[in-house]
Amino acid sequence: MPVNAQGAPMARPGRRRFNLTWLGLVPFLVFSTLFLLIPTFYLIVGSFRDSTGQFTLQNYAGLTNEIPLNAYKTSIEISLVTALAGGIFGFLMAYAVISAGPSRFRSGLMTFSGVASNFAGVPLALAFIFTIGRAGLLTGLLAGLGINPYDSGFSLYSKLGLEIVYFYFQLPLMILIIAPAIDGLKVEWREASENMGAQTWQFWRYVALPVLMPSLLGSMILLFGNAFGAQATAYQLTGGFINIVTILIGNQLTGDVLHNVGAGYALAMGMVGILTMTLIAYQFLQRRSERWLR
Amino acid sequence: MTMGGANRLGQGIEAMQGHALDAPNKRRKSPLRFGWWLIFWAGVLYFFLPLLGTFVYSMKSIPIFSAYIGVLQDPKFYGSLGYSFIVGMITIAVSIGLMVPTAFWVRLRMPRARPYVEFVTLMPFVIPPVVLVFGLISTYSHAPLPFTWTDTGSTALLVCGYVVLSFPYMYRAVDTGLRSMDVQSLTEAAQSLGAGWFRILFFVILPNLRVALLSGAFLTLAIVIGEFTMALFLARPAFGPYLANLGSTKPYEQAAVALISFALTWIAMGFIALLGRGSRSRATITGAH
Amino acid sequence: MSTTHRTVTRLAGLMVAGAFVFAACSGSGSTAKLSSSTSNMDDLIKAAKAEGGLTTIALPHNWCNYGEALAGFTAKYGIPINELNPDGSSAQEIDAIKANTTNPGPQNPDVIDVGLSFGPQAVTDKLITPYKVQTWADIPDKAKDKDGYWYGDYYGVMAFETNTAAVKNVPKVWADLLKPEYKGQVALSGDPTQSNQAISAVWAAALANGGSLDNVQPGLDFFKQLNDSGNFVPVIAKTATVSSGETPIRITWTYNGLADKDSLAGNPAVEVAVPTDGRFGGMYVQAISAYAPHPNAARLWMEYLYSDEGQLAWLKGYCNPIRFEAMKAANVIPPDVLAKLPDTVGAVLPTLDQITAASTAITAGWPTTVGATVK
Repeated sequence: MPVNAQGAPMARPGRRRFNLTWLGLVPFLVFSTLFLLIPTFYLIVGSFRDSTGQFTLQNYAGLTNEIPLNAYKTSIEISLVTALAGGIFGFLMAYAVISAGPSRFRSGLMTFSGVASNFAGVPLALAFIFTIGRAGLLTGLLAGLGINPYDSGFSLYSKLGLEIVYFYFQLPLMILIIAPAIDGLKVEWREASENMGAQTWQFWRYVALPVLMPSLLGSMILLFGNAFGAQATAYQLTGGFINIVTILIGNQLTGDVLHNVGAGYALAMGMVGILTMTLIAYQFLQRRSERWLR
Repeated sequence: MTMGGANRLGQGIEAMQGHALDAPNKRRKSPLRFGWWLIFWAGVLYFFLPLLGTFVYSMKSIPIFSAYIGVLQDPKFYGSLGYSFIVGMITIAVSIGLMVPTAFWVRLRMPRARPYVEFVTLMPFVIPPVVLVFGLISTYSHAPLPFTWTDTGSTALLVCGYVVLSFPYMYRAVDTGLRSMDVQSLTEAAQSLGAGWFRILFFVILPNLRVALLSGAFLTLAIVIGEFTMALFLARPAFGPYLANLGSTKPYEQAAVALISFALTWIAMGFIALLGRGSRSRATITGAH
Repeated sequence: MSTTHRTVTRLAGLMVAGAFVFAACSGSGSTAKLSSSTSNMDDLIKAAKAEGGLTTIALPHNWCNYGEALAGFTAKYGIPINELNPDGSSAQEIDAIKANTTNPGPQNPDVIDVGLSFGPQAVTDKLITPYKVQTWADIPDKAKDKDGYWYGDYYGVMAFETNTAAVKNVPKVWADLLKPEYKGQVALSGDPTQSNQAISAVWAAALANGGSLDNVQPGLDFFKQLNDSGNFVPVIAKTATVSSGETPIRITWTYNGLADKDSLAGNPAVEVAVPTDGRFGGMYVQAISAYAPHPNAARLWMEYLYSDEGQLAWLKGYCNPIRFEAMKAANVIPPDVLAKLPDTVGAVLPTLDQITAASTAITAGWPTTVGATVK
């Protein structure tokens, strides 16, 4: 019977090992194939079909028109902004509570983040309309104080407004993701750096941020993907007046007028392409950051 | 592997449970400086104002509070919330049943497969739910696997769709939990005592994952209750479509329901966090590092 | 390992068995030849009751008072109705038929109520089956397909729904909307690149500004002007946004506005005004799915909708039912119901070709003319 490095007998004979270990993943593989890979395959195939079912490359050619290009640009812009903003403020907020704050706030922050990160769509859009819309609560209060933001050009129904609303679920998601990394910042490092005479900013610049950077970047990449895929919130808020990719997809798949399903799938494939690249970047950064976690 | 190790994306699993990752890793107990307080309260303000706006709107119904009373007397509210809750529980069970053995197996025997498995679990981030549900309906509305031919089948299909949506969170949670225990040694010890794979998974691994599983379960439940697109297209009486549908006839009630569900979800999460905090027991093998 | 092996074998076995079972059941789609009209109502009622159910799709209860029609049908014939996707669009209804052609279960809709432009396309795609109701002759010729595939059911007219608590002077004509007092108050009920209702609004504006059923450009220009003046709010107006004062003036179908008025019940008060210039009517059509799992129940439903009872239900929902003129002549409309109907005299309804041309023009012109991307 084969033995392992310590000389103890191994649980399974070595030669058959490869075949059997692969079988252990079968339930997962079957499930993923049935309910994730097949629909994805369907998406890929459908993107090459026109409305009569014939093969066509027209859907992809259509991606280079002005409206889809603008939509991708807008989607990327909004996702980048909210990923950065959510990332930075999420990190600050998480650090404020976890490291620098009383511990009893932590649980409340985490549970709230769990709920808020899924609060999206119609209720979220309406909540912001009720608060900072033209007839909103805050708008009314500010107007009473003499400053009406709408008079100076602000509008909830703009890219900025959409970003403000997206922030509501981006921020909690960042908090949830980055918390373990902040936990991983050992107290000993801070103490050691102080012992060597470093100031706070030096600690951050030379110790904390380099260690945290892969996690921060990786988390922001996830936030990017999360914002890119949001649809219901944007649709309720801007009604398609600001074109983002997910709304264009919805137009093609479920709208009353255009209804070219193949074009919708092609748009979705573009989105899949962009997001897959971000996923690969994320996984790469994950490997880097894990070095520090042992 | 020290207890300080934690996976980046772990969805704040252990963070949610609020415990320091090991005894000596004390949180820095410096007095909270003004800057951090400011950031914290700014954040709190940002989060509560929209909820306040919704609340003020819901109070505009005449007579006051009638929106809330109307909601609490509506059988469809309980029906749809109950349906989503049950679907959520089933989703959690299936997801755990799928993910724990998989993550365990990958960690134990196939570490090189890990990036690929991880990539598959992250794919749901990349596909928009409306596309996913279109694909599911087109594939499963005819033989050989006609899920949509019956109500039960459609619900089953919805559960499977939700399990897919929960992949990123559940896998991360389990992976993080496994990371903080010595899987190899535990397994070998159990095997040397004669346990088969099922016993190992059920009686050794699962209890140690309780904390991680609770957080993964919780995030999954939040996703299921808030989900709208898939339930709508599969014509299921779930909470998401119910909430959206209220708007056309009962706008004040819709605002009330949004707040009630937010509060309920938060309370439930807090409750589970409390439950999870109690269990620190973790099997360790003396001498193992 | 052997446990997993056993599991895999079991799973595969289940899948194969399941496939056999479902394949065997899949032959239960209706293949019986059914008549395209009924001479004997009693036979139809019996056959429909035997089927035991009806599946509808995209029929919100407060849209043309469908709630009453659905309840009335079940009360009269004892046939339960399974309602799918109440907020669905016409495109989703067509998709539901396409996706469920062999489905004998509850996901497969029997009947659809879609925008006019979807009728002929459904005929081409062979998705619907012809049927002429007993009151067929009362339906105007240009509102129905001559072979009976689809038939107009009701129409509404584009109007202004105003929250009178937030807006003192109710706009009465399209030009009113441009007045500076309405700054940041006017909104559409949908996205003109996606929603039939929003396209109709642009078209109606065209009629009031020198355009016609064939020329929609003035409508696009009007909305550009509205946007530039700051009166236009680029959000989809709903009951909630009207009542909160966010979009106190909403351009929508008469029946939607009046339904809002009823459901809000004075909190806040809402007034619906049909503009005296630019009256545009939009018609919807009914059809029976060619793959309906309950074909007789579907036919009975149509008979019900086109009977006096069904048409009156729609009338109470402020929709103009298609048999309106015939019913008025026969004096079957209660005067109080008649009184609540808004004045829509002079509304023009477009033909199919005009709809196709206008939709294309508006969906293409909206992003460029009106400048959709608001900074």
